[in-house]
Amino acid sequence: MALKKKPTKLKKTARKLAMGKKTALPVNNGNKGDKFLPYLGFGALFGYFLSKAGATDYDTVINMFRPSDVHIDKTPGGFAFHLESLRLYGVLGVAIAVIALGLFLLENSQKPTLSGKGLDWEPLKWDPDRILGAFIFGTGWALTGACPGTSLAQIGEGKLVAIFTVIGIAAGVWAYPKWKSGSSDKEQVC
Amino acid sequence: MNPNAPPSSFQMFFINLGHTLFSNTWPWWAAGLGIGLTALGLAWFTGKRLGVTGGFVEAISAAAQDSSAKSASPWKLWFIIGIVLGGALANLGHWNWTWLYGRLDAITYGSIFLKSLWLLVGGFLVGFGARWAGGCVSGNSLMGISTGNKMSMLVTVAFLAAGVLVTNIVYSMLRIL
Repeated sequence: MALKKKPTKLKKTARKLAMGKKTALPVNNGNKGDKFLPYLGFGALFGYFLSKAGATDYDTVINMFRPSDVHIDKTPGGFAFHLESLRLYGVLGVAIAVIALGLFLLENSQKPTLSGKGLDWEPLKWDPDRILGAFIFGTGWALTGACPGTSLAQIGEGKLVAIFTVIGIAAGVWAYPKWKSGSSDKEQVC
Repeated sequence: MNPNAPPSSFQMFFINLGHTLFSNTWPWWAAGLGIGLTALGLAWFTGKRLGVTGGFVEAISAAAQDSSAKSASPWKLWFIIGIVLGGALANLGHWNWTWLYGRLDAITYGSIFLKSLWLLVGGFLVGFGARWAGGCVSGNSLMGISTGNKMSMLVTVAFLAAGVLVTNIVYSMLRIL
């Protein structure tokens, strides 16, 4: 065992030396060592739940923006709520509440992540310019009934037209920096 | 054993479980809980912030072989590939290819060409706007709001306002047509 471990240690040191200044950066930046399976797995979970939420269904998304048949009936036993059209607001609300509570607990715990390091992200910086982009996004969301996440899940579901949505999204993501040159310094995409 | 006999309650349990896992849509609270726990799981296991637009950025820079951007965060690429798998898994029970797309079929008069064009244009706006806004619904609305970011809250309000406005314009125009 000891013999087996030694060469890897030496290799690591050699790599560190070869990388020079970069050794000061956190290990996370040496992405080659990152395992892909956890990301694939969490991606699959995300797609799975998006699909279970109905967020991948065009009609459900349209119902969220243009609710149909939302009413409350008075019944002998009390009230009957017909709020199915608004279900995606409920999904979003529950998800946000769960994440907010969970992150609060994680940040106040001894071990915020498995590796013991802090969360590897920074908050979106204030820039009112983004609101225009958000309006454009909302327009596209209404037209396609899909956002970047759900369009991918739709392909998995076998919805062939979603391929065009995904191509469109990729084209839009590609075009933005060409159109808005010099934005790279403040570019920040989650 | 009679093959026509109704399934026992023991068998019914697994049949229903199969439908729940691989066919049916879930109640809103259950799906929301799932999405929330997924984001938390990703944060705890890997320290990463859930987001999809970044995956698209990663994918196009990989396609353009832009080596400087390529090294940024390849995990996002794996994450968005996973989303496709997850969508398939959720519908394994009745999985098949389809060109149908809900009420949009009626808007585009059943023409696949028109529908594809519609989605291509809409998709472009989604991608363009998402990068401009600094993230899509997952990055801004889920992760941004839950961390109390004011920019993300404002962006989410704009997402929804534009969505409500455009959907109502489209569908009220169709009534006139």
